Amino acid sequence: MTKLLNILALVAKYGGLLVTLPIWLPFWIIWFIFEKTGINRLIANFMIATGLYLTFKNLFRKPLRLGLTCFAIMIAFLIFSVVTTLKTALNAGVELSADNRLVVVNSINFTQPLPYAYVNKVKAIEGVKDVVHMNWFGGYFQEPSQQIVTMAVDPENYLKVYEEVVIDDEARARWFGNRRGMLIGRALATAFGWKVGDLIPMSSNIFSNREGGHVWEMEVSGIFDGRDEQFGTNFAVFHYKYFMETQTFGGDWVGWLTLTTADPALNEKVAKAIDEEFSNSQAQTDTSTEKAFNKAFIEQIGNIGLMIFGIVFTAFFTILLVVGNTMILAIRERTGEIATLKTLGFSARSIFGMILTESMLLAFIGGFAGLGLAYVMVEGAKTFLAQFLPGLVLSDAVAMQAIGFMVLLGLVTGLVPALNAYRLNIVTAFSRR
Amino acid sequence: MGSIFSQISAVVAMNIRSLGQRFWMSLAMVIASAVVVAILLAFLAMAQGFSKTLESAGADDIAIFTREGSAAELNSVISRDQVNILETAPGVVKDENGPVVSPELYVIVDGIKKSSQTEANIPLRGLDDRGFAMRKNVQITEGRMFTPGTNEMIVGAGILREFDGFALGQEVKFGKVIWKVVGVFTTGGNVFESELWADVKVLQSLYNRGSSYQTARVQMSSANDLEAIRAFVEGDPRLNLDVETESAYFKAQGKSLSYMAYFGWVISSIMALGALAGALNTMYTSVAERAKEIATLRAIGFSSLSAFVGTIVEALVLAAIGGALGSIVAFLLFDGLNASTLGGSFTQVVFAFELTSDLFIQGGIIALFIGFFAGFFPAFRAARLPVIVAFRNAA
Repeated sequence: MTKLLNILALVAKYGGLLVTLPIWLPFWIIWFIFEKTGINRLIANFMIATGLYLTFKNLFRKPLRLGLTCFAIMIAFLIFSVVTTLKTALNAGVELSADNRLVVVNSINFTQPLPYAYVNKVKAIEGVKDVVHMNWFGGYFQEPSQQIVTMAVDPENYLKVYEEVVIDDEARARWFGNRRGMLIGRALATAFGWKVGDLIPMSSNIFSNREGGHVWEMEVSGIFDGRDEQFGTNFAVFHYKYFMETQTFGGDWVGWLTLTTADPALNEKVAKAIDEEFSNSQAQTDTSTEKAFNKAFIEQIGNIGLMIFGIVFTAFFTILLVVGNTMILAIRERTGEIATLKTLGFSARSIFGMILTESMLLAFIGGFAGLGLAYVMVEGAKTFLAQFLPGLVLSDAVAMQAIGFMVLLGLVTGLVPALNAYRLNIVTAFSRR
Repeated sequence: MGSIFSQISAVVAMNIRSLGQRFWMSLAMVIASAVVVAILLAFLAMAQGFSKTLESAGADDIAIFTREGSAAELNSVISRDQVNILETAPGVVKDENGPVVSPELYVIVDGIKKSSQTEANIPLRGLDDRGFAMRKNVQITEGRMFTPGTNEMIVGAGILREFDGFALGQEVKFGKVIWKVVGVFTTGGNVFESELWADVKVLQSLYNRGSSYQTARVQMSSANDLEAIRAFVEGDPRLNLDVETESAYFKAQGKSLSYMAYFGWVISSIMALGALAGALNTMYTSVAERAKEIATLRAIGFSSLSAFVGTIVEALVLAAIGGALGSIVAFLLFDGLNASTLGGSFTQVVFAFELTSDLFIQGGIIALFIGFFAGFFPAFRAARLPVIVAFRNAA
């Protein structure tokens, strides 16, 4: 029995080291580097000089507990940063929408078409600068499951209305001059390995080609980038004329219109003028700002999105609560020591500072480890996810929020024990033992 | 051997009874494991509810035709001629009115979502009496069926729950056309309840579809007829169509939210690691605080195995309490919760979260995983604690 236990103990010891490898390895590596480079001694001297030495000694008195607590904090901040980044990416369409852009759709639903004649009628309305019409192509490449956001547009006006689509003059001229030309986004080009000049057979899951089948051959005229890093470049645009002349349904109709106004202040007036113009026509319109339109679209995903973020944030705060509880208890254990320090002549204020610094440090070590890990993960997933969720960037705003929560965690967990220590009466503390 | 078991049970009982003394640390572990379980269950219930809503809509003995590569009803186009050819396919059931075939239209209209007061996509399906009768468990619960050739429609119970403006008797305006709601139908909770139904001929003319349709459903005498029908479709060059059973079609559609289950597993596994770190802290502290007790027991002859098992059981109990707590919270908060989201056909699918017993088992597994690993390593420390050192340290 004892023998078995001994063998098990050996397994547990090394198994335990192995299982907890992700927890202690990063800290050990940092420690190793410090030790070898002499930064260690430098820090120690600095700490003694600044009076932080005791804080560090306290922090590292139980390395296992330190490691575990830091790890839990790290996980909390990892989840927070990644999920907030996902949320920002989902909302990027709303955040990046231009102030002076309006979207005109059929009032029944945006999937219903509008007559082509509306393009010029809208253009004639006062306050409208540029108008582009777009059609959803329902594109996919080879397999129906490999969907590609593809739209048939009026090329010149498209680039006028969407200024964030950045492309050099050469590619622009090449696209305008090639009826079968298509512009593709950087993310799309990377995902499929497409280059300028490639001939791509694009399939449509809605339309049929007059020549038979559902495939259109298109040539990559250029690869565009986004003006903003968050702008998704996972789509393609091609000539409306080519589309209309080759698809079987025929007819002159467009999916929807996007326009820019001369001044954002005119938005409301222009939107009203457009909807009034067509109020007695067969196809009525519904005009809204791009921001409102994108927001309504995200709302369609609905309370699910809201729930996910609600759930994750509850989790984040619960982890902080649990960790905070541990941290508070860890300091409470030291009541006797604090009394001793006070007896030795440490001022209440310096002890207060020492404990608060300790909890702050703990929050920052774990927090920044989580933030850093989140950054690595987001960067790693960026190219992989660009097709489905473009604009994945761990923004400064997210990082600032995370740092804010670290400060809050450090304060909340440090303040109570620090205050207790500040007020601690030496006599009662010793008699309590 | 008997004495070992009595030793173990004595130590276990002692550890459990003294949990109150380590209340705050123990509570931390319980909460950590509860949160992990509750979150896992929330995601799983969401994915489960969604896929059930879609999967239960499909029948095995109905074949659904869509244009090849279109992947969803919304994108598909089928001409009247193609429908006529389909009616002659082998395996199609015939009754006194001819072959049982339902050519349908599927267009999207706007509805106002109750939860957000914003516009969302709702499918308006055009069908006829045959198509209506083809749905399993379909039933008009209020009002009556629409009269063919008129602007009347019937609304699904799910639409009534999640959207404003579709109550019985109400007039609804889509573009310039005014529709009248004359009935409410249920289909046993599946995805068809998230739809509006109207006469297919009326829709064809109002939406300029000429004589074309989008999909066709065909009643087969049994699911085995599918292969014959598929061979028939492939043998006729005019039929550039995909055909599958309705249940296979909806099963594929139901997968579109299965990433939620994966996402839930990833998030809760990462969180479980964090909770494990917290729980290990709890258990190491528990062992450290009881060092003197453990040493005493060992000194009076208790085996180290009993100290080992005692600690591991303590951890398992705490994690299990947390798991049970998390399951209860998840059940109260999420079971039956109504939600709607965009489905594969670009329209709103109204569904309810569903917590089934197999999900609770998954939650239990993750809780016990936390408990086991949180107890295992500290248990070895307890079992291997040198008696003298323990007395010296605890003094």
